[in-house]
Amino acid sequence: MIPLLILSSAATVLTLLALWIPVRTTKWLTAGTIIAAIGAILVGWNQPAEYFGGLFRWDPLAQGLTLVALLGVLWAVVIGRHGGERLEYYLLALYAAVGMLLMASTPNLVVILIALEALSLPLYVLATWRRDAPSYEAGLKYFLLGALSAAIFLYGIALHFGATGSFNVGIAGSGTLYVAAMVMLLIGLAFKASMVPFHWWTPDVYQGSPTGVSLLMATAVKAAAFAALVRLTTEGLPAWGAALTLVIVLTLIFGNLGALAQTEAKRLLAYSSIAHAGYVGVGLFSGTGGPAISFYLLTYLLGTGLAFAVLSAISNGTVPYERLRGLFGRNRLLGVGFGLAMLSLAGLPPFPGFWGKLLVFLEGAKAHQYALLVLALVTSAIAAYYYLRLFGLAVLSRQPEHEREEDRAGVLPPWPTATTASATARWAMTLAMVLIGILGILPFLGYRAFAAGQPNLAARVPLSTNVSITSPSDGAEVPAGEFSLQGTGKPGEALEIYDGATKLGTVTVGQNGGWSFALEPVPSPGTHTYQARQAGQAGGPSVTVKVTAP
Amino acid sequence: MADIALFLPLLAGVSLVLWPGLGRPFAWVASGGVFVLSLVMFFLHPKEGIAYLTQTPLLGPAGIYYAVGLDNAAMFLWLAVSFTVFLSVWVAKAPTRMLGYALMMETGLLGIFAALDLVLFYVFFEFTLIPALLMLGLYGGRERMRALYTFALFTLVGSLPMLAAILAARFLGGAESFLIGDLYNHPLKGVAASWVFLGFFFALAVKTPLFPLHAWLPSFHQENHPSGLADAMGTLYKVGIFAFFRWAMPLAPEGFQGLQPLLLTLAAFTAIYAAWAAWGAKDWKNLLAYGGISHMGLAAIGLFSGTSEGAVGALFLLGASFVYTGGMFLFTGLLYERTGTLEIGPVRGLAKSAPALAALGMILVMSMIGLPGLAGFPGEFMALLGAYKASPWLTFVAFLSVIAAAAYALTAYQKVFHESENRAVPDMTLQEWSFAVVIVAAIALLGLYPKLFTQLLQPLAKAFAALFGGAA
Repeated sequence: MIPLLILSSAATVLTLLALWIPVRTTKWLTAGTIIAAIGAILVGWNQPAEYFGGLFRWDPLAQGLTLVALLGVLWAVVIGRHGGERLEYYLLALYAAVGMLLMASTPNLVVILIALEALSLPLYVLATWRRDAPSYEAGLKYFLLGALSAAIFLYGIALHFGATGSFNVGIAGSGTLYVAAMVMLLIGLAFKASMVPFHWWTPDVYQGSPTGVSLLMATAVKAAAFAALVRLTTEGLPAWGAALTLVIVLTLIFGNLGALAQTEAKRLLAYSSIAHAGYVGVGLFSGTGGPAISFYLLTYLLGTGLAFAVLSAISNGTVPYERLRGLFGRNRLLGVGFGLAMLSLAGLPPFPGFWGKLLVFLEGAKAHQYALLVLALVTSAIAAYYYLRLFGLAVLSRQPEHEREEDRAGVLPPWPTATTASATARWAMTLAMVLIGILGILPFLGYRAFAAGQPNLAARVPLSTNVSITSPSDGAEVPAGEFSLQGTGKPGEALEIYDGATKLGTVTVGQNGGWSFALEPVPSPGTHTYQARQAGQAGGPSVTVKVTAP
Repeated sequence: MADIALFLPLLAGVSLVLWPGLGRPFAWVASGGVFVLSLVMFFLHPKEGIAYLTQTPLLGPAGIYYAVGLDNAAMFLWLAVSFTVFLSVWVAKAPTRMLGYALMMETGLLGIFAALDLVLFYVFFEFTLIPALLMLGLYGGRERMRALYTFALFTLVGSLPMLAAILAARFLGGAESFLIGDLYNHPLKGVAASWVFLGFFFALAVKTPLFPLHAWLPSFHQENHPSGLADAMGTLYKVGIFAFFRWAMPLAPEGFQGLQPLLLTLAAFTAIYAAWAAWGAKDWKNLLAYGGISHMGLAAIGLFSGTSEGAVGALFLLGASFVYTGGMFLFTGLLYERTGTLEIGPVRGLAKSAPALAALGMILVMSMIGLPGLAGFPGEFMALLGAYKASPWLTFVAFLSVIAAAAYALTAYQKVFHESENRAVPDMTLQEWSFAVVIVAAIALLGLYPKLFTQLLQPLAKAFAALFGGAA
């Protein structure tokens, strides 16, 4: 609740204040507000709460996806260069953030619709920010199709009410009316998440909008849309089944094939964002995909955010591939950033994009969607090609000699150097790269947070045997002399019990498959690591316990 | 201890790439340290079971662990890899940053052998690709981009079916995690086994490499930096045999048995076809690339026989070929440095001015063609012995490649070192002498006293063969 209050009150106050304070101050106040909201989310992490009679549900799903969305908005505010600094830019982004937060945290269809409009209206304006032909085209397309999708969504709400008598999701109905309602709701959200066949606005709008705004649409809006989708799937899957599968299949195929044909970097990222919506969709089927989807969108945000930041440093308009040639040679920071972004988006281990993909695919496998998985993997291979092509172009290619001379002679437009990427942007990019590195090597840091409250499999699974130690539990604190080791194994098998490197003795597994080993003499206080090994094996399951004086 | 040895090269490599000013001695110390650590581990490890075990949840709720440990097979290959990397970094005249990439790649390679979690294995397997790509892309020859795309596409497209197979192996088999013990306890049955094995097959055939998925390899070597560093690392990248042994075949034994005749045929054909291609090779790198493929064909036919001799032979040959093929690539780097070309033909008669170099070349070539007493022989012999039990005729076909090897390797050797011309080149320097002494010692050890390693591999191979009813 506090993040909502922070965002909405700050948006109101800043709107009034902005008339009197400088634009740059507005920018930093906006960024500060979003950081404060993110802080509030983190402080209240994993403490679910409900307000307004259940209209506002602040659960882990809402927290996770709001966090991702707000990070996206923050990134767009910090990175965005939009020609002619004007205060409305930041305020509109802030209002959109309020909409995203609402959308992620309500199970009520009417509130979802309001939130959808609250986040869309600012974006319609932002899309036309550059006031040139492509920008007007982008704004108009986004507005018309957004309005259409909202209308379809509204129709779906009406039918849903007719079929179930409720505006809340989670009340499963039946019959044609109900199925029609659910499909319309799916269409409305698929528009926002840009899933095929409701994606066709995406490339033009992304290309025509200022780079920061494209980024917002690609990451933050998507996070909000998927929050609603995840909430709807728990009841929607039986009704959607085939429809959702079809949408995802189409998304995977056309998103990736479309990206393959591009020669302009922002359009590529647009198609890639369509494709990624397909991958995220694979995680919808298990019904437990919330944490995986949140994590995926976070990794996607990191990769895409970095790529957009680099593009934004190069140009606020279009960026044909050829402008990326030899990027690494001209500007190390941009080159490395772009390279990392491509590798992460391609899903190469050990980059965060890989872990995100792996986790949603695991959810798909849990739901036994193997055909979909195979398709997702095949399209990943296609995706790897176009990401690697850009990687090769930006990092591995050298700038052609003649162009280098023209560069020096000033014939070519000045190549952006680290000075055109503002100091803030450079810091932000460095931070994102560090985050990519950390999440790549230690993915659990992110995932564990999103999956808080889910059962952990951390009970030690034995490596090579059926042997286990069931008591005392790992990490427990036990008084000396008042416990014995217990576990399971194959009936009749002899096990060797070790304390660290010292062999304590052997024990025979009983006919019920359990064994118990009395610790004689009483172990000394301190930390002990007990291990059970099959005869002749070098390792086995172990527990580390802290023995206290009796 | 294994964890330190595993991540030391990565840290050192990244530091070296970021601050090349640290210089070559830094790379020598790092790779030497890893090798010494591996040696210590080799002599201390308990010769049975899994040693140096670490297991901690990586993605707990998803059942993915950071689990590494070394059994005998992994220990043997781990030693071979750390030895070869050390030699490569020591000898190759490559840019300093490139040494950093080589070190980063070492972590991936060691990880492939040490991983006891299937997802972790996949991560290391794929991670290795990145430094290899960077080495090829940043330091390669003129046609490097084409070679790079071929290489990347083969490996990436190959490994994605494996990722599907990895997910299916757990969920169709009913295991709760991706840990090796858990997966071994839930082997796949029926149709699922065939699909999962096939998924593994595509990825591993690329990295073995087996015909026709070997096509990336010759251009990979052709376009890489002439110092031989990247090539030696590329040799180490042929980890398919091990992965078949450790993961694919035990996880889906039924799937393997269904495809066994086809696999044996492919392996035999790979051996003979690559030998034939090596015969036509115009330069050293091409010759060694195809020669290496041919040897891997022999290793593969041994492994696919499903017998314990075959498995021991295959693993031994894999480790030995790391050493002698890696050495051979480094040797060609020395040749390139002296003559400026890798082509076989234009430069002849080097033996007169550089007799020591010629002698080293002789030993390496002899080892490559499997002369008894040198590193290549025991593995080839045991692999063929095992294969004979499964299919005498295909073994005969594969055996022809051994004869062919003598033909192509000796002809090339003769041309470059003997025959007229007598071009004068400097003989070996002190540093190169140290390389020669060490590698010849390693080759002799592997050739004269293979028992040191084979007896370690024996129990694992027996357990492996028992999976396919070939316990003998």
